[in-house]
Amino acid sequence: MNHPGRRLAVQAAAVMAAGLLSLTACGSSSSDAPEGASASSGGSSASSNLIAIITPSPDNPFFKAEADAAKKKAESLGYETSVASHDDDPNKQSELIDAAISRKAAAIILDNAGADASIGPVKKATDAGVPVFLIDREINQTGIAKAQIVSNNSQGAQLAAQEFVKGMDGKGNYVELTGKESDTNAGVRSKGFNDVISQYPDMKKVAVQTANWDQQEAFSKMETILQRNPDVQGVIAGNDTMALGAVAALKAAKKTDVVVVGFDGSPDAIAQIKAGTMLATALQPAALGAERAVEQADKFIKTGSTGQPEKQSIDCELITKDNADQYGVFAKL
Amino acid sequence: MSDTLTNDHAALAGQRRQAAAEARRLKTLNTIFELRAFIALGVLIIVFSLLSDSFLTVDNLITMTKHVAINAVLALGMLLVILKGGIDLSVGSIVGLSGVIAGELLQGVHLSLFGVIAYPPVWAVVILCVAAGAVVGTINGILVTRLNVAPFIATLGMLYVARGAALLISGGTTYPDLAGDPSTHNTGFDWIGGGRPLGLPVAIWIMIILAVLIAVLLRSTAFGRWLYATGGNERATQLSGVPVQRVKTIVYMVSGACAAMSGLIIASELTSAAPQAGDSFELNAIAAVVIGGAALSGGRGTVRGTLVGAFVIGFLADGLVILGVSTFWQIVIKGTVIVVAVILDQSQQRFQRRGAAASAVAVAAAAEPEPATAARSDR
Repeated sequence: MNHPGRRLAVQAAAVMAAGLLSLTACGSSSSDAPEGASASSGGSSASSNLIAIITPSPDNPFFKAEADAAKKKAESLGYETSVASHDDDPNKQSELIDAAISRKAAAIILDNAGADASIGPVKKATDAGVPVFLIDREINQTGIAKAQIVSNNSQGAQLAAQEFVKGMDGKGNYVELTGKESDTNAGVRSKGFNDVISQYPDMKKVAVQTANWDQQEAFSKMETILQRNPDVQGVIAGNDTMALGAVAALKAAKKTDVVVVGFDGSPDAIAQIKAGTMLATALQPAALGAERAVEQADKFIKTGSTGQPEKQSIDCELITKDNADQYGVFAKL
Repeated sequence: MSDTLTNDHAALAGQRRQAAAEARRLKTLNTIFELRAFIALGVLIIVFSLLSDSFLTVDNLITMTKHVAINAVLALGMLLVILKGGIDLSVGSIVGLSGVIAGELLQGVHLSLFGVIAYPPVWAVVILCVAAGAVVGTINGILVTRLNVAPFIATLGMLYVARGAALLISGGTTYPDLAGDPSTHNTGFDWIGGGRPLGLPVAIWIMIILAVLIAVLLRSTAFGRWLYATGGNERATQLSGVPVQRVKTIVYMVSGACAAMSGLIIASELTSAAPQAGDSFELNAIAAVVIGGAALSGGRGTVRGTLVGAFVIGFLADGLVILGVSTFWQIVIKGTVIVVAVILDQSQQRFQRRGAAASAVAVAAAAEPEPATAARSDR
């Protein structure tokens, strides 16, 4: 085992594997001819025309839509792009930002991996002359990132809750499924729901459980809740994935007249709304936020200013059966 | 002379009685320990029934058992691997992979060579998914037996590879509607999660059938004896001519197939398949096996115990949801139950050793005056 030659071979293999990994991390670069962007006229010292797009894992279609929209917009403006996922790991995010700095990216579009854990890496990039534009999630500090463009979770939750109350005629027993309790958005949405619903004294919340944004967990928890409260008339969920889990549980229990409302505006939820098994969802315009961030990055690179305040919020839109046809993948068609 | 003899006899008889009483006492304690998972389950059921009217109803018991089945199917596969002294961390990822393969197949397979889309019938989809799980398990087995990778590492690697494969096949998205289409003759997939032959959900039947099969396998076949022996002392077992490598590969294969089955149940219940399904399910399965009294070092564990372990975890989780206890507490309580189970297991081991010693004394004392036949046949 301790044979030196063998150990060397193992080390060489490890180095190669690491190399391969970092290659994949910076993968999917596209080298379209840069025309419109002759970069580096802004305040930054960036000398390439690369826009690095860093988001959470694309296994959630929301983040995929966001990354795809940013990539498309940047390429249409003549930039090279690199798309990578930090998988909600602050450490990986930091490495990806280091990589973007060393490639002298013109800008970073970031959906960050934690409101506090991301402050350091964003500052690092800014200090190195790479402007950072945050989308979807804020960080707990202003004055570092050039822009923080997030959808208005509170407004979206209130919008969804109003439709929910309307669907239940302002009365009845309902269940709330909340998101991962460590995620700020879960709390903001839950508060938004409750701010509206608490104004209706005949709306009775019989159970609240977190299902960690997860469909299978929502399914089994909903089944169990139905055992105790067979007379549930409504379910409001912190995201569409959990709403879909609840829909499956209600279907298994042969309860067809329960009002279900979700959040996000995912394509699967829109399909359920069209089929009538879900009442409504609040669409977070992921694509719009990403496009706006790229536009502002472009403006900043060319003029040294975004012309916008740092904190910007994009209102969510309500999707119901009436307008479901007008929406595609996290965007209005 | 005759007095001392009688005294000796009396003393001996007293000693014998004492030893026998001690052995009986330890035996009772041992039985209690042996039944501890059952007792825990009984306590859970009583406590939850007192706290909520809706707990102890036939309907709720069936629902909870259906939830238990998903974990129990995984845990039965895991039991075999743990009996061998190994561990399988990849089962959660295989759950996701199996669902995704089902989704892909039910959506229609594009055969570009013939320019057609093939829609395999549901039974073929089920067989292919279980086979895929078995193949992944077999790769685990080969890594462990032929390439000498430690089970923890081999299956940890597979945890990532299988999850990555699920994401690659699905392109990261969820397959939304697995109900099939009458025009392509592939409807009926939702029966696995929603069907109720003889009043019980299919998932429960799968659990029962699998439990019986594995119990028979362990109890009445050479394979079962080989497996226990391998877990107890691998080297000695190998030297006595048992095909240890094959036994080890087979247990990983079965574990993979069980995981795939579990993935099918989940995908069918939701009539949709997400590539991230089954995340961290391996830990629940390991917990069920451990609560059921199996030793992680191998060679000890039963199907009955594992099932009860799965029921304890499942009933605990659902009971706390019915009571409306916060998720944070649910996690803390689950962790505590697992650790307490292992502590009890350790004391059981001690009692068993003492019990064995005490009964040896009792047997020896009983054998002393009449050393003829009975004692020998006892040995």
